[in-house]
Amino acid sequence: MADIGQILDKIDRLPALPSSVVRVTDMLTSGATDLGEIEQIVRHDEALSMVILRYANSARYGRPGRMFDLKQSIVRLGGKVLLTIVLEQQASALFVRAGAAYGLRRGALWRGALGGALAADQIARTHDFADKDLCFPCGLLRDVGKLVMDMHFGSEYLSLITKHMRPECTFVECEREAFGFDHAQIGGELAGRWGLPERICKTIRFHHEPPAAAPEHDLLVDIVHAADIICLWAGLAIGYDGLEYKLAPHVRDGLGLDRREAELDVSLTWCRLREIEESMENVLVQEHDS
Amino acid sequence: MHPSPTTYRSTEVDGKIVVGVADIAVSDDPSGTLVTYALGSCIGVSIYDPVAHVGGLLHFMLPESKINAERAGQSPAMFADTGVPLLFKGAYELGARKERLIIVAAGGAEVLADDGHFKVGSRNRTMLRKLFWKNNILLSADDTGGSISRTMILKMSDGEVTVRSKGKERTLWPT
Repeated sequence: MADIGQILDKIDRLPALPSSVVRVTDMLTSGATDLGEIEQIVRHDEALSMVILRYANSARYGRPGRMFDLKQSIVRLGGKVLLTIVLEQQASALFVRAGAAYGLRRGALWRGALGGALAADQIARTHDFADKDLCFPCGLLRDVGKLVMDMHFGSEYLSLITKHMRPECTFVECEREAFGFDHAQIGGELAGRWGLPERICKTIRFHHEPPAAAPEHDLLVDIVHAADIICLWAGLAIGYDGLEYKLAPHVRDGLGLDRREAELDVSLTWCRLREIEESMENVLVQEHDS
Repeated sequence: MHPSPTTYRSTEVDGKIVVGVADIAVSDDPSGTLVTYALGSCIGVSIYDPVAHVGGLLHFMLPESKINAERAGQSPAMFADTGVPLLFKGAYELGARKERLIIVAAGGAEVLADDGHFKVGSRNRTMLRKLFWKNNILLSADDTGGSISRTMILKMSDGEVTVRSKGKERTLWPT
């Protein structure tokens, strides 16, 4: 069986987050936000600067008759909106073409990523989670391991995993039987190689199997885990893996997630996703091909 | 193509009308195909009148609109209780008749080990059955439950409904 490190070493064109995005994400999620320093980082990334300027001067954030420069735009948007924009824009390029190995049509993995970010944000707000700014990046990047599986196994993925699929086994258990590791493990490893904060890497690594007991337990992982299930109920990024995942009982009980709240989260997540897609004017082909 | 005016978001890809999540489309074009992807706990409902060659496809997500009444007004196809009536209404407007309709459902899967806490797929199936029972409607065929993902395809030329899952396709109607 292949080793995660060897696979990541072997793939020539590993998906990459621009270093500017990693640095801005680290700064905005660490709580030590220095908008002046962010401006210095962003100024060296022309594409990112353009996106920020466009947003700050859009009908939604701008002011009629006034143009904001880069520094003013960063201040105008503020840390949270900035983080959302940076990740949305940059992660979409990573995700939008991937997912074929999982039976996902173009754009479906990206919709699932954004849906996970929005669901995690929704749950964090409902529960007034102290570190809610971390929920968006973790929800967005939780399935980044599927990019690696996609690149490494390609069209062989389905035949390899099918032999190991059994009733009542979760999909990540099947992946571990088939490959020796699952997409969450390799995703956490990839995030570490990108230099993302350790807590984000850990959340990606454990988002399907959140640790229940201290000291490993982390409410952030629980929230992203629940968000992943909300996305399944919203029909987002469901591929060959179907609904072969479990909602951990300690997450359900710890968050006090009942049927009503879950269904409300499903509908709100889907509506927010639709609004963002419309505002981004992204023409994404939806869903997957079973 | 005659989309339902209040819910139309479907897109045409490779000659197929793709019905998204919380989406609905009706048609009287016999050369057309309606398809919906990613049916997990969501349910796809197809209706087809073989005389009028009118058909429609709905992809609803949740059973009851009361969970989010405000959104139900904007996206009625999200819910069974608002989406199903709209599907039938759209088909009737194109000339379909209730007594001739062939109705097929697919989806309604569950996440594993739900233990009865949420049962979104099961509640979707129950709500659909309740709506049909109240309106004296019988399902001609269905493929629901489990934990798999399904793609549902309605051919407008003859009303054939196929379901694809994990790369394998089977005909649901004609049975």
